[in-house]
Amino acid sequence: MTDAAIGELRAGREPELLSHAMECEPCREALSHAMRVRELVERGVESLVEGEPSPQFVAHLRRHIAQGPRPVEFYWARWALVAPGALALALLLILVIGRMPRYNGPSPITSRLKPSPSSPGVAAAPDATRLNARASVSGRASESLPHAHKATAGLPHIIVPEGQLIAAARLSEAINSGRVDGTQLVVTQRDADKPLEVNPIEITPLDPPPTPDDEEKPAASTEF
Amino acid sequence: MDALAASLSKSAVSHDESLEREFEQRLADCPKLAYRVALGVLHNAAEAEDVAQEAMLRAYRSFNRLRERERFRAWLVRLTFRLALDRVRSKGRRERHERAAMEERCETSIEHLVTSREFERQVARALDELPEKLRIVMVLAAIEGYNTREVANLAGLPEGTVKSRLFLARKKLAESLQCLVKNIPVG
Repeated sequence: MTDAAIGELRAGREPELLSHAMECEPCREALSHAMRVRELVERGVESLVEGEPSPQFVAHLRRHIAQGPRPVEFYWARWALVAPGALALALLLILVIGRMPRYNGPSPITSRLKPSPSSPGVAAAPDATRLNARASVSGRASESLPHAHKATAGLPHIIVPEGQLIAAARLSEAINSGRVDGTQLVVTQRDADKPLEVNPIEITPLDPPPTPDDEEKPAASTEF
Repeated sequence: MDALAASLSKSAVSHDESLEREFEQRLADCPKLAYRVALGVLHNAAEAEDVAQEAMLRAYRSFNRLRERERFRAWLVRLTFRLALDRVRSKGRRERHERAAMEERCETSIEHLVTSREFERQVARALDELPEKLRIVMVLAAIEGYNTREVANLAGLPEGTVKSRLFLARKKLAESLQCLVKNIPVG
């Protein structure tokens, strides 16, 4: 009966319900009531949505469209969003690349230290021959420093005293990477040819030994 | 470079024109649909027209963002329904006072209920009390007698869901209108 009231009676059930209602007075009344409810519900809701927009509706709409901003084409809007980001990224890249240290060939010190047949390794280690302990930077140093070989690849061999190989390799790496200015080293090397000047060192005298009176007093620093 | 810019602007203009033409085609039948959906929620012609105008205007401004243009009607229905609900909510206390007065009359003066205007109000009240998801299918089903499939297309729901929601909506409406039906003469 409820299904009949809302117009959702299953197919084939309607004749069955009607034939029963013909014989049964209460069911006939209930069905009649249900049908009235159904009709009222349908008619009621339909009456609520009946109507047409005014004839000026479209004209008003066109006027509003003309007055308001035009719709932004999504293709252009998308590019308008992406473009500033791309520009900012490009600028950032330029700044980062500009700040990166550059290596433009061998540094002044390494070019100066090129080995010559007459004095091999003298520039880097003047006393190397005297110590008779020579080694190759690109040879043994690369064993102790994993990246030393990479750093010194393609550079001339420099002979240095034993025990200074790692230091020499690090110096070479620093020069190659631009962290150390080679020209300053050359200047320092020139200064090294001058005789050493000995400056007297001024030594501050130690505190006098503690007197017996002082020993009686407990040291402030030992108190906790 | 100038040639590229010119061709791009030309293509943009032609794209705009095609969009305008496409929207113009929608203007033939969609205002009526939007208006009726709004009317089903607001029960007021002037307000329904306002809301339908706003919905159409928004639809125009966002038309180029709509990927499936064939779903425009469904999109417009949902947009209008939302806008109409927002309008109802913004009405506030005044509306609640009117409803309370109407309910009082329903209980006291039976003869008023039989008149057509009163009946319409009662149906509107009963419809407003339906949950939103039931109300939209009921309103759409009442508009030009849309069948279940059409309602499903417009509401963006499966047909089975529409059927069950229609069933529930009618049942609730029938329950709400019981007192009204008892006082209407048979035939």
